[in-house]
Amino acid sequence: MRISKQARRIAKELFTLCRVDGRLDEGRVRAVVGRLVNTRPRGYAGILHHFKRLVELDFARRAARVESAFPLPAELRQGVQTSLTRRYGAGLHFTFLEKPELLGGLRVQVGSDVYDGTIAGRLAALAARFQT
Amino acid sequence: MSNLLQEIESQIAGLQTGLQRQNVGIVREIGDGVARIEGLTDAMMNEMLDFGNGVMGLALNLEETEVGAIILGDYTGIKEGQEVRTTGKLLQVPVGKGLLGRVVNTLGEPLDGKGPIRADTAYPVEKIAPGIIKRRSVNQPVQTGIMAIDAMIPIGRGQRELIIGDRSTGKTTLGLDTMINNARLNRAAEEAGDKDYRPLYSIYVAIGQKQSNIANVIRVLEEHGALPYTIVVVAAASDSATSQYLAPFAGCAMGEWFMDHGMDALIIYDDLSKHATAYRQVSLVLKRPSGREAYPGDVFYLHSRLLERSARLNEKYGNGSLTALPIIETQMGDVSAYIPTNVISITDGQIYLETDLFYQGVRPAISVGLSVSRVGSAAQIKAMKQVAGRIKGDLAQFRELAAFAQFGSDLDAKTQALIARGRRIVEIFKQPQYRPVPVELQVAILWAVQNNFLDDVPVEQVKTFQHRLSEFLTTRKAELLARIAREREIKPDLAEALKAALTEFKQLTA
Repeated sequence: MRISKQARRIAKELFTLCRVDGRLDEGRVRAVVGRLVNTRPRGYAGILHHFKRLVELDFARRAARVESAFPLPAELRQGVQTSLTRRYGAGLHFTFLEKPELLGGLRVQVGSDVYDGTIAGRLAALAARFQT
Repeated sequence: MSNLLQEIESQIAGLQTGLQRQNVGIVREIGDGVARIEGLTDAMMNEMLDFGNGVMGLALNLEETEVGAIILGDYTGIKEGQEVRTTGKLLQVPVGKGLLGRVVNTLGEPLDGKGPIRADTAYPVEKIAPGIIKRRSVNQPVQTGIMAIDAMIPIGRGQRELIIGDRSTGKTTLGLDTMINNARLNRAAEEAGDKDYRPLYSIYVAIGQKQSNIANVIRVLEEHGALPYTIVVVAAASDSATSQYLAPFAGCAMGEWFMDHGMDALIIYDDLSKHATAYRQVSLVLKRPSGREAYPGDVFYLHSRLLERSARLNEKYGNGSLTALPIIETQMGDVSAYIPTNVISITDGQIYLETDLFYQGVRPAISVGLSVSRVGSAAQIKAMKQVAGRIKGDLAQFRELAAFAQFGSDLDAKTQALIARGRRIVEIFKQPQYRPVPVELQVAILWAVQNNFLDDVPVEQVKTFQHRLSEFLTTRKAELLARIAREREIKPDLAEALKAALTEFKQLTA
C-alpha cells in the first residue's frame, strides 16, 4: 500500500516516543497501537503499517542469531550471550539454530553484522580466493 | 611442482584466520539494474557491494532504512532475499601504460580479446579534482591537425574544449583527427629520439553509442596507427545505464594516472548528452527527485566534477596535464537546451559544428562566429599566432559582407577584396577527415594566404593550389618546414625563405 509522507512522519514520531533510554519499550508500543486502532485518526492504516515496519527493523537490529553445526552446551550459550551483550548492549533477542552444513564453528549475526567462524565459511573463502 | 605448493601455501597464509566482522544486507527489490537493500548499516557512499558470484554493485543512495545500489554487470541472476556484503572498497579501475592499445569496459576489463591487462595500479573512479595550488594555466598546445581549429580556436594541454553540434556533423571525426595527429607526432618523436617532446596519450570514452559506430572508430584508429597510443573505454548502447553513467569517470581515472605521473593525456567523452540521459535513468529508478526535463538536481555537478578533473599541473606537482574534449549532441541546433548550456558554462570554450555548413561542403563544419577558445591562445605557437592572428577577424568580416556578395560588381574595391580573401580562407580551411595537417605546413599555407600569394588563384582552384603547395613544401622544401617547426617563430630571414619558396612554386605552376 502507498503510505503518505505525513503518515510516515507521524509513525516515525510515534516510534521515537516509544523509545526509552535508546531501547524500544514494548508497553509503549502496545499502547500506541491500541490507541491508533481505537481512535482511528486520519490515515491510521498507513501510520500503522509504517509503524510496524519501523518496529520490525528495530527488532531486526536487535536480533542476535547464533548458528552452529551441533547444539551448543548451556554454558557456551551463556558465554556467547554475555560477550555479545557486552559489545552491543542489553536488549538483544537471541536465537540459537542448528545447521549441520556449517560443519563446525559458529556463525553469529547481530543486526547486519556477521561474524563467520564456521568451517564451511572458511572453505568458501578459500574457494573464492582460488577463483580470483 | 614446488612452485605450485608455494603458491598454495602463500594463498593459505594470506587467509585471515581470525574472525572478521562483515556487514551484510538482504536484497528487498531488484529491477532495471538497481537493487534496494535492507540492512548494510555500515555501507559508505560509492562503496562496492558484493552480491556474490562475482557480481558487484555500487551504493548510491543511503536512506534511513535502505540502501539503493546500482549493479555493475549482469543483474538477472540476483534474487530477492539474497545476501549482500560491504567490501570497504570504493570502485576502482586499473590504470597505467598497460592499458594503451586496449579496448576496455567501464570496469577496465578487456573487450578486445588481446588477453588480460597488465596493470598493477588501480585508481578510484570518483576522485576530487586537483585544487588551485596544484594547477597552472595552459601554455602548451594540443595540435589537432585541423587547420581551422589550430589557427582560430587553439586548444592547450589541460583545457576543456566542448565539441557541440547536431547529429552527423563531424563531432567524433574532430576527436578522431586529434587522436590520429597526436599519435603521428608521438611516433615521429619516438623515431627521432626526441627526448624533449611530451607525448600526448589519448583516451576515447564511448557512451551509449551503437556497437557498429564504436567498431568503426576502433578500425579507423587501427588503420591510422593511433591505437597503440590510445585507450578505448566502451559503454555501448546495449550496456546497462549504470555502466554508461560510470564510463566517463573510469576513463578520467585512467587519464589522471598519466597526469599524476608527469605525462600528458587527452580524453574524449563521446558523448555527454547520452551520459546525462543514462544518469537520469539511474536516478529515476533510484527514485531520486527529478527536476527540469526529469534530470536529477545534481546533473550539473555530475558534469562539473567530471570536467574539473582535467587540469594542467604545475612543475612542483609533475607538470602533467589532462585535456578534455567533451562532445554534446544538440537537437535542431538548439544550444540553449539544458545539458548543452550546462556543459558550455563548465568548459573553457566550444567548437560549434553547423549542419548547414556541413551540407554546403564546408567540412569540418566549424561555425567561426559561435566557436571560441577562452584559454587556448596562450598555448598557440608564436608562428601560428603571427599568421592566424587576423584570420578570425577577416572571416567574421567576410560573413558580415557575404550577404552583399551577390551584388558583386556594385561593391567598392576594398569590400570585394575582403570577400575574395574570405572565400579563399573558407576554402583553405576545408579538410578531408582523418588527414591532419602538421602545424608547420599549416603555418606555411596561412603565411601564403596572408601575404597575398593566393589572391590571383580562382576560388574553385584554391584547394588544388593548396594540395600542390603542400606537396611541393613537404617534398622539396622539407628543410624549410623543419625550420618552422624548430624555430616556432617567423623571423625576417624565415619570412624571406618562405617568400622565395612560394615565388619558386608560383613560377613552377604558372
